[in-house]
Amino acid sequence: MRLRACLWFVLSSFLSCSLWGETRPRYGGTLNVDLSMTFNSLDAEATPLVIWHLTGETLARMDASGVPQPLLASGWQREADGRRWRVSLRADVRFHDGELLNSGSVAPILLAALKKTHGDVAITAGGSTMVVESASGLPNLPAELADPHTAIVRTNETNSLIGTGPFRVASWEAGRRLSLAAFGDYWGGRPFLDSLVVNLGSVRATGDVFDIPLASPRRIVPETARIWQSAPRELLAIVSQGARPELVQALALAIDRGPIVNVLAQRKGTPAYALLPGWLTGYEFLFESAPNAGRARELVSSLRPVAVTLSYSPNDSFAHAVADRIALNARDVGLALQISPNSNGALRLVRCSLATADAASALTTAAQCLGLEDRPAVLDNSKPETLYQAERALLESNRLIPLAHLDSVYGLAPRVHYRDPGTANPITLHFDDFWVDP
Amino acid sequence: MSFRTKVFLSITATVVIAVWIVAAVVSALVTDSFERIDTQRTAALVGEFRHQFARRSDDVSRRIDAIANSETVQRLAVNLSGPQPDTAQYVDEASALAREQSLNFLELIGPDRRIVSSAEWPARFGYQENWLADNTNWSRGVFLRTEELADGSALGLVTVRTVKAGDGVLYIAGGLELDKGFVDTLPATEGMQVQLYRNMGAETAGNMPPSRLASSLIDEVRAQPRELTRTGVASSITAIPLLGIDNQLLAVLLVESSRAELVSLKRTIQETAWGVGTAGVLIGLVLSFWTASRVTKPLRELATSVQEVAAGDWGTRAAVRSSDEVGRLARDFNHMTEQLTEQRDRMIQAERVAAWRELARRLAHELKNPLFPLQITVENLQRARQATPEQFDDVFRESTQTLIAELDNLKTIIGRFSDFAKMPAPQREPMDLSSAARDVARLFDAQIHAPGRPLVEIRFELEENLPSISADPDQIRRALSNLILNALDAMPRGGRLTVRTQSAGSPGRVAIEVSDTGDGLTAEECERLFTPYYTTKQQGTGLGLAIVQSVVSDHKGTISVQSQPGKGTTFRIELNR
Repeated sequence: MRLRACLWFVLSSFLSCSLWGETRPRYGGTLNVDLSMTFNSLDAEATPLVIWHLTGETLARMDASGVPQPLLASGWQREADGRRWRVSLRADVRFHDGELLNSGSVAPILLAALKKTHGDVAITAGGSTMVVESASGLPNLPAELADPHTAIVRTNETNSLIGTGPFRVASWEAGRRLSLAAFGDYWGGRPFLDSLVVNLGSVRATGDVFDIPLASPRRIVPETARIWQSAPRELLAIVSQGARPELVQALALAIDRGPIVNVLAQRKGTPAYALLPGWLTGYEFLFESAPNAGRARELVSSLRPVAVTLSYSPNDSFAHAVADRIALNARDVGLALQISPNSNGALRLVRCSLATADAASALTTAAQCLGLEDRPAVLDNSKPETLYQAERALLESNRLIPLAHLDSVYGLAPRVHYRDPGTANPITLHFDDFWVDP
Repeated sequence: MSFRTKVFLSITATVVIAVWIVAAVVSALVTDSFERIDTQRTAALVGEFRHQFARRSDDVSRRIDAIANSETVQRLAVNLSGPQPDTAQYVDEASALAREQSLNFLELIGPDRRIVSSAEWPARFGYQENWLADNTNWSRGVFLRTEELADGSALGLVTVRTVKAGDGVLYIAGGLELDKGFVDTLPATEGMQVQLYRNMGAETAGNMPPSRLASSLIDEVRAQPRELTRTGVASSITAIPLLGIDNQLLAVLLVESSRAELVSLKRTIQETAWGVGTAGVLIGLVLSFWTASRVTKPLRELATSVQEVAAGDWGTRAAVRSSDEVGRLARDFNHMTEQLTEQRDRMIQAERVAAWRELARRLAHELKNPLFPLQITVENLQRARQATPEQFDDVFRESTQTLIAELDNLKTIIGRFSDFAKMPAPQREPMDLSSAARDVARLFDAQIHAPGRPLVEIRFELEENLPSISADPDQIRRALSNLILNALDAMPRGGRLTVRTQSAGSPGRVAIEVSDTGDGLTAEECERLFTPYYTTKQQGTGLGLAIVQSVVSDHKGTISVQSQPGKGTTFRIELNR
């Protein structure tokens, strides 16, 4: 009996250790990522965030609550009512080429990035500290420092991307394949993976990680794969390029967002009634409205004859499908809506990435992406009512119709593991926290 | 119309009429044959259309059956039979299945008749297909239907299958488009064209705009769907109505057979006919010349011979070149001229004898008249020798006077005969005929107005500006004088003498007429009037008119007489200028 108990204990201990070992991080291995999309440049604007942040880093990052936290910066001080900021840099950060990160190397990169939104910005560098000043004010500078556009990356003489992220670029075949190698001197510690290979334009789902695009051709997801779905982080909207406000209003009333999200997007998102998703602002429900075909018909009848073109990106089959559906909704209310794969229509179907937990920054990004000329003034995250009013003003201008907030969805092979950050609304995967079984 | 023209027209008319009849007959036969072939070709094409239609229907049935039995559809049916069916994941399945089965249309429709997935219009998911409610029995097979598309509509050959899904059914509706591709598969021979025109309410739509004939045909079929055929100049068109499941007209199939080949053939026949006709005319021309020259040459020679005979050449003979009718005619002509020559010679001989007899009679008569007084006078003289010398002297004186007078008379008579015999050649010089006529007529004023003579009125109808003539004025005056004297002699009881000059009918000729209102002449007298020594008067030598005729003849002129007994006589002389 004792022997039996002893054997039972040994077996149980072995099984327990084995199971624990399955979830225990391990170093080494290569993570193969299959992406259906392609990109031809490694800069922040072209590269998807899930890949880009492996090589490039910003001075700050947004935490799960949307609060900026230091990243390459060690901290910052707000001075002169937000018109001056004193930013301190980490001392232990090196670029992929081995150069130490300091204010001398960061200031020119940051100044070029901030000049795009703050024309009067000036940076004074000294040692590990920089002073960022602007007469017009920089109330959300920490959030801006978390934006990938202010990433501290440069290129070397061979035009290779040099960043400070956990992976360095090993090889790059534009539009086809990107190979990344673990950066041993990464200030946050070496990533678990030795390398990471990203196959672009892949139609297969045979990699360790693969994206599941919204539109056809849909991937056949292996039954063993696990699904990872982000919080809604992309805005799908129609923006007017000169169409009459009444027409935009009629179309907004005609569109049934439910089928777009539930069928075309396969529930990888939520119907959108505002620019920013509810999880980011908490007030989106205030803009909710049901389709009203009768009212839409009234508006259309007052506009006769009506013929308008809705354009969409020629490479986006999901946008094409959505445009088709919108044209059908429009036809139901007597609106002759032509769809065209170019940007010349009076209405344009736009997808805008809102990959940030900073609402003010997301609203600015969305307005910029939508090409709205009267973008909201620099907003203060500490005053949510100004954010609401700014968004409401945009929506009531009848120049845009939010359609859906879309998720990013990935499939993960069984051998792939990652540390769960425990956030309620994850925006993206962090491959630097991934490890793979042999 | 000349013989040559007649021959030419005859040959030309014969050729043209023959060619026209042949062309018309050939054209009619070709048209009939072509239309028969055209009808056969159209029937064959329509038959092939029906065959292809049936074959495609079978294809559609088989493919839709395959889809209905596919795992995807079965899974969807199971999903739909669940308590909370989720059809979103099937939204693209219709496209995939349609691609797999090479179908143009495919819709998966749930029990609530809402589209789960649509291949032809993917965005229509969730919309209701109410037409499915109209018919619960889908055993009717394949039928035509107008499928709505995002960019319009299309004509589809579709069928519907149902798969049990819980308490309801899953509808699988799909098929093939009946489009230009389908029409192009029909084995249209050269010159045939098949078009499909869809009935779209107020209008029709096809691959190309229909011709006027096709448009009217389509309109007729739309008004009353039935198979119709119409024939135009350029083509013949057969229209076949294509009906939907509820017998509504969805499209019209037009089988157009070009008549260009026929038109071309007819044109060729016409052109050939024209060519042959023209050649016929030319040949007719040549033949007419040849025939005319062959036939009419002997005739022309004969005519020339006739003219020569008419001109007085009685020795002319026509050449006998053949033994046919023309040759016989020439022989007969020659025989006739020989006969005529002999008769003329005999007549001349007879006339000469008669003339001599007449001359002898006239001479005897003329000479006998003076001779008788001479004889009497001489006999008186012989008798007077027995009388007293005084008486003898008286008789002698009277007798010698008489003898002298009668001898003068004899001399005059002999002079006249001598003058007639010695008629000299005319000495031509320009002269005014009207003036000469007036002058000659005035010489007779004293005779006309002589006391005791019945009144004779002289009337001049002389044409002013009459062209002068080239003639011997003395001879012309003498001739006129004889005519006027004759006219006066013809009116012993008075009457009217008319002298008339005028341009003759023939160009370059002038005429002078002398008319009287005397007793006129008989036809026999008219014929013998110009015979020398013939006279109708008590006193006359019969040489007056003979002299006139001699003068006129020497001037290459003509003289004619018109007379009616009791009304008078008109002598007309025509002279060259």
